[in-house]
Amino acid sequence: MKIQQMAFMIIAIFIFFALVAVFFLSWQTRSLKSDFGAMQKEQAISSLAVISDMPELNCDSKTSLCLDEDKIRVMASNYSQRYSEFWPVASVKVYKVYPKEQFEQIVVFDSGQTNVEEYSTFVSICKKLKGSGYVYDSCNIGKLSVGVKLPEVVK
Amino acid sequence: MMRRINKNAVEFNFEWLFAIVAGATILILAVYGVSRLGNTQRYQTDTEIAKQLAIITDPLQAGFAEGVFSKIIFNQDTRINNICYSEDFGKNDMSVATKSGVGSEWQDSGGATSIHNKYIFSDAASTGRDYYVFSTPFYFPYKVSDLIFLSSDSNEYCFISPPRDVENMILGLNMPHIKVNNCSDNGNIIRVCFGTSGGDCEISVYGSCTNSCGELGVYNEGYVEKFDRSVKMNYVGNLIYGAILSDKGVYDCNVKRLLYRTGEIAEIFSVKAGLMDSRDCSTNLNTDLAILGEISKNDTVDDLFSLNPVIKQIEAKNEQEICGLW
Repeated sequence: MKIQQMAFMIIAIFIFFALVAVFFLSWQTRSLKSDFGAMQKEQAISSLAVISDMPELNCDSKTSLCLDEDKIRVMASNYSQRYSEFWPVASVKVYKVYPKEQFEQIVVFDSGQTNVEEYSTFVSICKKLKGSGYVYDSCNIGKLSVGVKLPEVVK
Repeated sequence: MMRRINKNAVEFNFEWLFAIVAGATILILAVYGVSRLGNTQRYQTDTEIAKQLAIITDPLQAGFAEGVFSKIIFNQDTRINNICYSEDFGKNDMSVATKSGVGSEWQDSGGATSIHNKYIFSDAASTGRDYYVFSTPFYFPYKVSDLIFLSSDSNEYCFISPPRDVENMILGLNMPHIKVNNCSDNGNIIRVCFGTSGGDCEISVYGSCTNSCGELGVYNEGYVEKFDRSVKMNYVGNLIYGAILSDKGVYDCNVKRLLYRTGEIAEIFSVKAGLMDSRDCSTNLNTDLAILGEISKNDTVDDLFSLNPVIKQIEAKNEQEICGLW
């Protein structure tokens, strides 16, 4: 009889520890996912300056937060797919926001990921023009927007 | 004669035996579980640190500065592994292992974080509590990327008779792990001699540039010899720091990655030149850039010297253009 009681007790202890382990693991997984999300966001925000300063997009190597319109169009045409692994983010979009009548959205890169959160910064968008015998930069105000790679939601 | 059997004693012994076996099993399982959990926790922490390393090196890049210097301080001794892959754009796989006072001092590194858009020059594995991060841009002839040099506090260097530009960079950024000319008697210090200066040195740097050499002068192009001349690493421009401060394997791989990116950027500039032509802002760099894009993608560190005159020629042409491409 006592052995039977002891066996039940042992089974109860096992079940108790198993439940504790399940709760702990689920908490651990949740915390891991939230840490991952936070780090991805942090990376996207710090990537804004890095991406705008990339020689593939930047006006020249002396001006920060300035994008070259020609380079953006080249990258948006077919080049950015070559860089698919290279981008630390899920999407890179450029908006020409001022003057309003020239508003335009240029998708430089889109990984096709659906669960994306976007972060943006204002930038200058410039291109070189030649007029009256001299060369000058024509610039618009724009926005560089990058999407965070968040874990895909499985439906 | 009949023997008397004490039934109570048998029952008591079996219960105790059963309790001891079951108790010991539970205890062993609990200890095993906790130790596995501890290892998993360490793996998770090390993986997170590697990811954070990728994030915190973003603002530590030179950007538009000539050089940037920063220090990363860990709470305990940390081993950073840098495995470089050179296929296409390539990547640096960074993984971290932290020293622990509980269990084994060092366990396997955590999960590696792949960094595709940075060029991290370091030893394949370095250990220390403080890490120094120094970054400088690489032009070839346009800006290709920022170079990041990562070294631990266990490596101290002394540069003997460096060119003025290198000396100004090191003294200007106040890097504590690199001394200039004033070498102490500390046996662990790595002596880096420029040219034939200094005599007995662990690392020797030789320059061979003869024309259009820029601020680095004769050291704009050359090679670095290490470990009694058994290792030779070619460099151009700011790659000189990478050749001095990193392993040959990591260095060669990163140079190949940089050359591949040089080729990709050349193609982008070539298409951009076409767009500028259509706006009557023409350049005659198209052919040169197309050739550069073609050849540099497959080049390696051994091709640096043959590629450098082409680069200088393109740079000179771009400077003469009214509608310069960069």
